[in-house]
Amino acid sequence: MTEADLHGETANAVLRWAAKIPDAPALWWNGAATTYRELADETAAVRARLAERVPPGATVAVLDAKSPRTVATVLACLASGYPALLPSPTLPSGHLAAVTAEAGCRYAYTERTVTALPPGPAGGRAGAVPPGTGFVLTTSGSTGIPKAVPLPHTGVDAFTRWAADAFGIVEGTPVLNYAPLNFDLCLLDVWTTLAHGGQAVLVDPAVAAGAPRLLGLLRTHRIEVVQAVPLFYALVSAAARAEGGGPLESVRHAVFTGDVMPEQTLADLAALAPTARLHNIYGCTETNDSLIHEIDRDRPLPSPPPLGRPLPGVRVRLRDSEGRLLPGPGRGELEVSTPFQSTGYPDPARTAEKFTTDPADGSSGARTRWFRTGDLAETDADGVLRLVGRLDHQVKIRGVAVNTAEVERVMLGHPDVLESGVTTVPDQVEGRRLIAVVRLDPGSAATSLDLKRHCSARLPRGWVPAVLVPVREPLPRTGTGKVDRRALAAMLPAAPRQPAAAVGTGP
Amino acid sequence: MSNADRISEYIVREFLPDLTPSQLPHDQDLLGDGAIDSLGVLKLIAWVEHHFQLAVGDTDLDPENFRSVAAIDAYVARSQSAPVTGG
Repeated sequence: MTEADLHGETANAVLRWAAKIPDAPALWWNGAATTYRELADETAAVRARLAERVPPGATVAVLDAKSPRTVATVLACLASGYPALLPSPTLPSGHLAAVTAEAGCRYAYTERTVTALPPGPAGGRAGAVPPGTGFVLTTSGSTGIPKAVPLPHTGVDAFTRWAADAFGIVEGTPVLNYAPLNFDLCLLDVWTTLAHGGQAVLVDPAVAAGAPRLLGLLRTHRIEVVQAVPLFYALVSAAARAEGGGPLESVRHAVFTGDVMPEQTLADLAALAPTARLHNIYGCTETNDSLIHEIDRDRPLPSPPPLGRPLPGVRVRLRDSEGRLLPGPGRGELEVSTPFQSTGYPDPARTAEKFTTDPADGSSGARTRWFRTGDLAETDADGVLRLVGRLDHQVKIRGVAVNTAEVERVMLGHPDVLESGVTTVPDQVEGRRLIAVVRLDPGSAATSLDLKRHCSARLPRGWVPAVLVPVREPLPRTGTGKVDRRALAAMLPAAPRQPAAAVGTGP
Repeated sequence: MSNADRISEYIVREFLPDLTPSQLPHDQDLLGDGAIDSLGVLKLIAWVEHHFQLAVGDTDLDPENFRSVAAIDAYVARSQSAPVTGG
C-alpha cells in the first residue's frame, strides 16, 4: 500500500489551496470566514498535538461539536493518516462507548486535547479499522446502537472527484452544508468543496431549526450547490413564502437525499430555485451515493421521484425474496456495488451478512463486492427504478434510520406497557412521522409524557415517537398474530394539524 | 389565566393530548424528556410568536429558551418588556 493509499489525496488537495489562495474563505460559520491559511494553520497545530500522543495509524474519535475548528481536526486526522471516527454528537454515552470499543478506538480528541479511552469490554478487535481508512462513520444498527463504517481514502477520493465534476464545484464555489459532520453527506458539501478550493458554508446545528436563518444563508452567500434532506427544503420553502422575497437565482444544483421527497416539497423547491437542476440521490452510509435522478422540469413532477441511474462505476441489481437475481421488471432487494464503498464493519459476522462477493465475475478475474441495502425497490418495463420501502422494520425519519421494532421493544420495557405498535404516517412537512400506540395496564396512570421520557433515556434522538398514544384496548393484530402496524394510524386522535406553511413562520 | 397556564395548555393540547395541564410541571424538561421533538420546537416557536405577538429573533432560537414551561414564560416576559430586535 502506497503513501497515497494510506493518507489519501483529499486532505493534501485541501492543504494545497492554502498555498495557492491563502486568503480565500474556506469555511463560513455564523457570518465569519475561515480562510484556507487559517484552516491549514489550525490543521498543523492539531497534527502536532496528535503526533505527540497517538501512534501512527491509530483511529481517533473526534468528539467536538460542529465548527470550523472541528473541520480542521478531521482534516488533521486525514492528513496524518489517522482514521477519523465521527460519532453523532447526540449519542447516549453508553452508545458512544460501544462504538469506540467496536472500532478498537483508543484515542479521542476534544477541546484541543487528546485523551486515551479505556478499552471496551471486547477490547477492540485488531484490524477492526483497516489501514488506508479515512473516515469511520457510524450508522444505526438494528438494535439502535450505532455501527462503525470505515470508508477507505481511495473511496473518499473517488467520490470527491465525481461530485466536483457532477456539480461543478471549483475554486470559490459556495456550497451549503446543512448535515452534521458525521453524516456521509459531508463528503460532498464539506470535503469535495474544500478539496476543490470552494467555500463550505456550515450551518450551525444550534440554529438549524430556524428556517428564516437557513434561507438567509442561501441568499447571503449566494449558494450555488445545496444538498439536504427533504425536510430542509420544506422549511426553507415555507420561510420563503412567509418572507415574500424573490426566488433563489444563485442555486445551480439542489440535491435531496435521505428520505422520500414529498410531492409538494418538490414543487415548492422547483419554484424557489427556478434555475437550479434538481437531483434525487440515493445512497447508504456503507456505499455512499449510488444512484442519481435528475428531475425533468419540462415534464410533470414525478411522485415519488425515481432512484435514477447508477453513478459512474456503480452497479445495481435486484434480488427477489427467493434469492434469485431479477433479469427484468420486478420487485426485490436492492444490491449495490460502488467505488466509494466501505471495507466492511468491524464485526466480520455482520459484514458477511450485508456484504457479499460474487463467486466469479467475468473474464477479468475481478470479483464484485455487493452491499445488500435492505431496501425494497422495483423496476418497470422501461427500466425505471423506484424505491418501495424497507425490507425489515427500518424506516427513515428526516434522514435518520429508525428501527420500529426496537422502539416497540423499548416501549415494552416500561412496566405498565402491555402492547406496543410503532409505525410512520405521512406528514406534509416531515415526509413521514414516527407514531406509537401503546396499550397500558388497566391500573396504570402512565401518560404519554412518562412514556416519552422512558424512550428518551433509552433511544437515540430521532427515535422517540413524535406522537405517542396510550390506549386501554387491545391493539389490532394481523392473521399471524403480529401487531398490525398499518391499522395503527386509525387509532390516532383526529387532532387538527397546522398547514405546512405555518410551521416556523407563525400561523 | 397566566401566561404560564396558557403555555401549559398549548403544549398539552399539541404534544401530550392525554394529559391535563395540571399534570405538566412547569419545570418539566420538555426537550430532554422527548416530549417535544425538533420539529415540535418549530411549531412551539410559531405559536409563541403568534400568541404573544412577538418576533423570536435568530439569537433567541437557543433551545434553552424553550426547554420548559417556566423557561418559555420567562422568555415571553423578557421579550415583552424589551424592545423587539427580531431578525
